[in-house]
Amino acid sequence: MKINSLKKKLVVLVSTAGLVLGVTAVVPAQAADPACTTASYVTTCVGATSDTAPYMFITTAAFNGTVLLWSHGLRPNVDIPAGIPGYGGYKVTNTPEPAPGGDKAIIGALLGAGYGIAGSGFSRQGVNVQQAVTANVELIDIFKKKNPTTTKVVAWGASLGTLITQTLAEKHPELIDAVALVCPATAPTDALISYFGDFMWGFKTFFDPTIKGFGYSAGAAGYAESMGDLVKFFTALGKLQAGLVSGAWPDTSSPAGKALETAKIPSRSALTLIGLMAGVPMRSEHIDGTSGPTGSEQLFPLAIAPAVAVLENAGTVGLAEVLLMADGEAQSGGIVFDNTKTDYAARVDADKDVYSMALSGNTAIGAMLGVLAGSPRVTGSVAAMAKAKTLLAIDGTIKDPTVLLTTESDQFTVAGAGQWMIDGYSEQYAAAKAAALKAYGANKSYVAPANNLVALWAKTGAKYTKFTAAGSPDLSATAGAGTGHCKYSPDQYVAIAKMAANAAKTGKFPIGGPIATAARKVGLSYDNKFRAPLFKSLG
Amino acid sequence: MIRKNRRKLIAASAVIAAGSILLAAAPAQAAEQGVSASSIKLGITIPMTGIASPGYNKIPGAMKAYFNYVNENGGVNGRKISLVVKDDQYIPTLAVAKANELILKDKVFALIGTLGTASTKAISRSAQLGSRGIPSLFVNTGFSGFADKKAYPTSFSLLPSYQMEAKVIGKYLDENYAGKKIGLIYQDDDFGVDALNGFKQAGVNFAIKIPYASGSQGVAGVAGTWITKLQAAAPDVVILFGVSSATAAALGNAYAYKYAPKWILGSVGGDATTLAANKVPPAFLAGAKGLSFAPAPSDSTDEYIKMFMEVNATYNKGVTFDNNIVAGMTSAFLAVQAIKSAGPNLTRKGLIAAIEKNSASFANPGLTPLGYSATSHVGATGYWIGTYDATGALKPDGGKYTVYTTDSGTGAVVVSTYKRPAMPAKGLPN
Repeated sequence: MKINSLKKKLVVLVSTAGLVLGVTAVVPAQAADPACTTASYVTTCVGATSDTAPYMFITTAAFNGTVLLWSHGLRPNVDIPAGIPGYGGYKVTNTPEPAPGGDKAIIGALLGAGYGIAGSGFSRQGVNVQQAVTANVELIDIFKKKNPTTTKVVAWGASLGTLITQTLAEKHPELIDAVALVCPATAPTDALISYFGDFMWGFKTFFDPTIKGFGYSAGAAGYAESMGDLVKFFTALGKLQAGLVSGAWPDTSSPAGKALETAKIPSRSALTLIGLMAGVPMRSEHIDGTSGPTGSEQLFPLAIAPAVAVLENAGTVGLAEVLLMADGEAQSGGIVFDNTKTDYAARVDADKDVYSMALSGNTAIGAMLGVLAGSPRVTGSVAAMAKAKTLLAIDGTIKDPTVLLTTESDQFTVAGAGQWMIDGYSEQYAAAKAAALKAYGANKSYVAPANNLVALWAKTGAKYTKFTAAGSPDLSATAGAGTGHCKYSPDQYVAIAKMAANAAKTGKFPIGGPIATAARKVGLSYDNKFRAPLFKSLG
Repeated sequence: MIRKNRRKLIAASAVIAAGSILLAAAPAQAAEQGVSASSIKLGITIPMTGIASPGYNKIPGAMKAYFNYVNENGGVNGRKISLVVKDDQYIPTLAVAKANELILKDKVFALIGTLGTASTKAISRSAQLGSRGIPSLFVNTGFSGFADKKAYPTSFSLLPSYQMEAKVIGKYLDENYAGKKIGLIYQDDDFGVDALNGFKQAGVNFAIKIPYASGSQGVAGVAGTWITKLQAAAPDVVILFGVSSATAAALGNAYAYKYAPKWILGSVGGDATTLAANKVPPAFLAGAKGLSFAPAPSDSTDEYIKMFMEVNATYNKGVTFDNNIVAGMTSAFLAVQAIKSAGPNLTRKGLIAAIEKNSASFANPGLTPLGYSATSHVGATGYWIGTYDATGALKPDGGKYTVYTTDSGTGAVVVSTYKRPAMPAKGLPN
């Protein structure tokens, strides 16, 4: 009774006071005991790990022994000038993040349920998996020392944070009891690099060959090149948007691109082709791919919508390509992308009928692929590519109960990453089952392997595009469900966290029904038969 | 005594344990989605509105009419068949969404008659029909790939392939227009690729080929450019190998431009009432050549056509009887055969196996045998050629159906010797 009323009180306090991220305790410069303050039953601790990564953890007087260790997603490791068209500015930050986006509703709900929460800001941004794992290991130790009643640790993260979380779970299973991977980037390094690299290579080949995209110089020169690329990329993107209906190509287009324009192949077809060959989702936050404005109910979805979806998704893909390639190359010592052997025609073969009108038919597809086949490719550095793999290395093995939440039309961490984890676990589970059966044959003792993976989907809705009175897609309308990058509601985050925390406590997931119900309550889908396409480079 | 009992218990436990493993390995037979003791739910997604819809939008009504006829005569193995219809507007991405609705929300047992190469391919891939084991019966497309059981393990073609059709046209051209200039308008996707492959195998050389991107036939001005190009190249014979809306756009603009070559209409875009719905008067077709694998809808001497006409008059009142009605009822008729053949314990797996194993004995309105087997999902395999009269009726040349049969490979085009078995009593499969 007392506990219940205390919990209720805490929920109210945490959710209404909004105090948790407002704490301005001084963060020690390096490893030291955390500085903690307690107010209204809520204890907030801040500090820095030995590599200067700032962290924050929060518990309440009703701490139930389970801590949720959050790893945030990609933050640029360089400042981005405010003048970049279409993006704006960004200042590097390593503010600690103990829960998704520091969201007060999520924090309130988790603390109110008795969980502790913890998260770092990491000592380095950009591609930082190794540093982040080191910081998290230390943070777990610090948290446990401060909260000796800790019994379970749930590692969870989003986007790049899922690579951090999965790496932590693979390397330190002894520290982790359950895992939640939200909008997972969990995929082979080659596939991740290929996704971004293929898109940018196709983009520059058609629309602006002065974009560098790969092989940035070291130091300040490389920074200037990458920022220059962002300006060029977003400028060309704006011109493509302007030419969506007319089919006009940007004036920065390559000679081969301009020849395609002369051949009356619209720029939107080339943009659609690039999206398809890279594997960019053909639905976006505002484009469902099936709706059309009055008077163009068929022509819009057939001819225009795919390019608009790619355009809407492309900003994220292009930005990420420049930032990730620049940082990845700097850390790896050379070009990490190689498309010398990529067969782009094979990449689009299964799609070309479905998007036939958007691509202007087979003849136009042949002409565009001809340009790509005849354009110089990017040759990667063998040593740099090998090094890059060590920066992001996971093998996908699932050792602890793991909740995977994937968005069907996520343009940054595409659904293929979640599918790769699912496929890998299917093989892992089949092997465990075979071993169990073999053991039964030997000693007549059969122990069925536990299912350690619950894969949930944020599926993309069928119809959500809104049109303005002028008949243009309304890109300021509410985004469609199952689109965008890590666009989950607080309820969805909390549901995932609780699902993982419960599994940490019991060591297993309940069978089907309760999971499906919990998922459905927050608008997610638990559908074991659903398959997302794999990364294009994985076939 | 106690020891003996204990041994028995141990043995029994071992048996139970082994049994448990077997049970775990082989999941219990759940009730099949879309099937109850008294009903079977099928689903179709097809263009009911939009540029490609005229004509094709009659197919679901025709299917329903035949299913209702069967239902009123006791159903299939005691079950009545219902059909859920969705409108995909001939937009592949919408077809995927609609197929998913049918499977996940309406919970249909199987898809039937999905229309269009691109839509059907997209559905198969995106809705994962193969890995989910969902049957896709008698797809309304002649893309030869759907006969490939490995690529489309749960899909069954019904129409002869476009490749077969092109080969048959090629033979006709060779026999009747050798040395003449030939023109072609075709859909610039796998539909057209299939045809091009067939024409190539038949040795047809074109004076002019005009590809159009699917959907572009509805864009103002596009079809006019086809005709000006044709006028410049001046072929003697022009083959229209596209959907009805493309055929209509070509014929309408040809009339406007006073251009009148010898036309050959591919079967997909050659239904006169569909063309009439697309504002092409039947008289425009007079003298043009066309192809079909089923008896002509005007041929009331054919027992299937007669029966379909009666069913249409009773269960689909007021709807003009044409090729689309024949196509819809043929698919429904075959579906009933297949479901009946799968037996009372109806499962998706069982249905697919029944079609693969038993289709040789299926009654079939088509004039060629069905080619379904454990290794191939090819349906009909040939065409007859006819001439349109001034009412738009396609009449077989020579007054009888001379069916040419071939394959989707390099096989020769030969006159079929197939004798269609008699229709089951009252048109109700045994």
